[in-house]
Amino acid sequence: MRFRLGLALPMILALAVFAAACTGGSGGGSSESGGGSSSPAAGKEEVVKLKFLYWGSNEEKKAVESMIKSFNESHSNIQVVGEHVPGDYNTKINTLMASNELPDVAYLPDALASQWGIEGRLLDFTPYMDENQDLKNRVPLSFYYSEPGKPAGFSTAAEVMVLYYNKDLFDEAGLPYPPAEADKAWTWEEFVEVARKLTKDSSGRTALDDGFDPNNIVQFGFSFDSDRASWGPFLASNGGDITDETGTQYALNSPEAVEVFQALQDLVFKYHVSPSLVQQQNLPNNNIRLQTRKVAMVIDGTWSLLDMSQTDMNFGIGVLPKFKEPKTMYIAGASVIFSTTKYPKEAIEFYKYHNNPQQVDLYKIGLWMPVELKYYEDPQLIESWTNGGVHPPEFKTAAMDYLLNNAVISPSASLKNWPDIKTKMQPALDKIFTNAQPVQEVLDELAADLQPLLQGKYPSE
Amino acid sequence: MVKKYTGLARLERNWGILFALPAILGLCVFTVGPVVGSFLISLTDWDIGSTAKFIGFGNYKTILTEDPLFTKSLSVTVYYAMGSVPLGLMLAFLVAMLLNQKVRGLSVFRTIFYMPTIVPALANNFLWMWMFNPDFGLLNTFLKMAGLPTSQWVYSESTAIPSLIMMSAWGMGNTMIIFLAGLQGVPTHLYEAVAIDGGNAWHKFWHITVPSMTPIIFFNLIMALIRTFQVFNEAYVMTQGGPNNATLFYVFYLYRTAFTETHIGYAAALAWILFVIIMVLTYVIFKTSDKWVHYEGRSN
Repeated sequence: MRFRLGLALPMILALAVFAAACTGGSGGGSSESGGGSSSPAAGKEEVVKLKFLYWGSNEEKKAVESMIKSFNESHSNIQVVGEHVPGDYNTKINTLMASNELPDVAYLPDALASQWGIEGRLLDFTPYMDENQDLKNRVPLSFYYSEPGKPAGFSTAAEVMVLYYNKDLFDEAGLPYPPAEADKAWTWEEFVEVARKLTKDSSGRTALDDGFDPNNIVQFGFSFDSDRASWGPFLASNGGDITDETGTQYALNSPEAVEVFQALQDLVFKYHVSPSLVQQQNLPNNNIRLQTRKVAMVIDGTWSLLDMSQTDMNFGIGVLPKFKEPKTMYIAGASVIFSTTKYPKEAIEFYKYHNNPQQVDLYKIGLWMPVELKYYEDPQLIESWTNGGVHPPEFKTAAMDYLLNNAVISPSASLKNWPDIKTKMQPALDKIFTNAQPVQEVLDELAADLQPLLQGKYPSE
Repeated sequence: MVKKYTGLARLERNWGILFALPAILGLCVFTVGPVVGSFLISLTDWDIGSTAKFIGFGNYKTILTEDPLFTKSLSVTVYYAMGSVPLGLMLAFLVAMLLNQKVRGLSVFRTIFYMPTIVPALANNFLWMWMFNPDFGLLNTFLKMAGLPTSQWVYSESTAIPSLIMMSAWGMGNTMIIFLAGLQGVPTHLYEAVAIDGGNAWHKFWHITVPSMTPIIFFNLIMALIRTFQVFNEAYVMTQGGPNNATLFYVFYLYRTAFTETHIGYAAALAWILFVIIMVLTYVIFKTSDKWVHYEGRSN
């Protein structure tokens, strides 16, 4: 065979160029994402580059992009590059952490924020607290601590679980709307009664009528899922918890906890007022469930106000029914600065800006509630984020006061080792919510799985 | 005997290596490197975000002696493989035989049977979620129309895996194509010989088709085994491992351990154990293949 050098050379050249382009590209990419820094240019004014990683719907993405744009325009010395992660954020941020390519500022799921806080991976806010009063006066539940007294991050926004309902369905049934003030919260029995009146089969009978056909339900009174967000508030309301106060002793088989899970199971299998988890596979999102009259009431977070308001339905917000005390659960993602950042000062500057209600319209459209307390106290400031035509009048008591006075922190933020605990709990919850085994038995058996995973709680102040 | 390269041969060899270099380097950097790396990681107690501690074979010991989810996920995966592999192979073989007949509209049939393979895996999974829905799904609707009892399909602990096995048979297009190619390579003179000896269709199938196809069956068996042991999408998209861990496939468990629970060292050890399991299985099949795989032109 004759060897053709004439052909080989250009090929090698092309390959070399290709390879160079590849490595050049990836090299540039990694250095940018690495420290998020630009090399200090001598002489000229230095522009600090920060990288910001976040998740969210298209609405949120748009709002965040415009926030970043206005930040960059008003801060000539800082250049923020935002990266939106559309898919599995946990996997993304874990990979970045494992490969040491962290951004400077980022959203973080609450469990990871707590975990990485005490691991020292997040910037300690303590030295910056005094000069930044707006970091100090925040909703107490929004703080993440690396050690007692040392804040390592805050919730991006404040959120609690509330009851949404379709007003038309209540009007037609001649029922009063769910209470919007915590003091007037329904007892569980009152709630079940209303839910039964709002559950209808295909021939129009309600769940309270004789001859009601539970196999042909066209309208459910209430729907909930198996997430902590659904049962957490009720568990807290009845004085139950997954663990004891120290977070080291399993307590989910206490009479209070069993009562709550039994009550939830009964909604599906005894009273037939709620769709089972399997039936819910076929139901649309909560806002559409209400709008299309598939369901009369749902439990959902305050963040869903955005989705609710985008339907043209006549909806209202109420507080959740109570067992003993009126309680709701505070569930929110965190925003953090990684301790690897080279520019903590600039990062904090951006941090304070990124969820400032004056800069981001996500408050007005109903996705977020502010973390700074002044937005709950000063009438003018309250007006500034609730006057977008989205927040119903009862929002003040059913969401804002509810958040300040009746919220407990989600176990995902407070309990160490939560991801493990959650995956071990899920099979047990499956059993309860498919009525496969008596509740007491399931929760007794769960002790053996969960007890070895309990490592206490994160600092809460 | 050592062959000495001289002159042109050496030149060719050197250029050959040079041309293959991108592929070799790619393999080293993107495959061998991570493989070695993952083994080192598997020797550590490392949660993402904390510092790694070297613990030798501690992870392996924990997995093999005191991890109930390891046993659970492995048995779930084996259960799935035991059902999915034979069913898929037999069905693919059968369909390939049918599609090897000279009938009108053959290309249409071939397209139809191959079509599910082109459907993206995720779309496929969502489609089947609808079909499996106990209240409104297609499958239960058919069962009801036929007056048969309905099933909870993937939503019940006992029927979840059988349902997924059934679903896996739907995507046998690639296996089928390989069988079909193999069938077309079976020498026709052998069939003619059987016909002359007075053999019928069964004789042709059993004494000619099957033996000639054993190398293809062998190949497809190994590929299917490796594929089913690495099944992931179904758990990730459809069931999240539930209900009650009934579909906690091994790779899904591994993924969850690494990226939800952040135990990356432990997950790396899980991956290595799976690697060893698949390697042993493949080795066993290779060893037994002498007994049943027939190669054209090689006498036993």
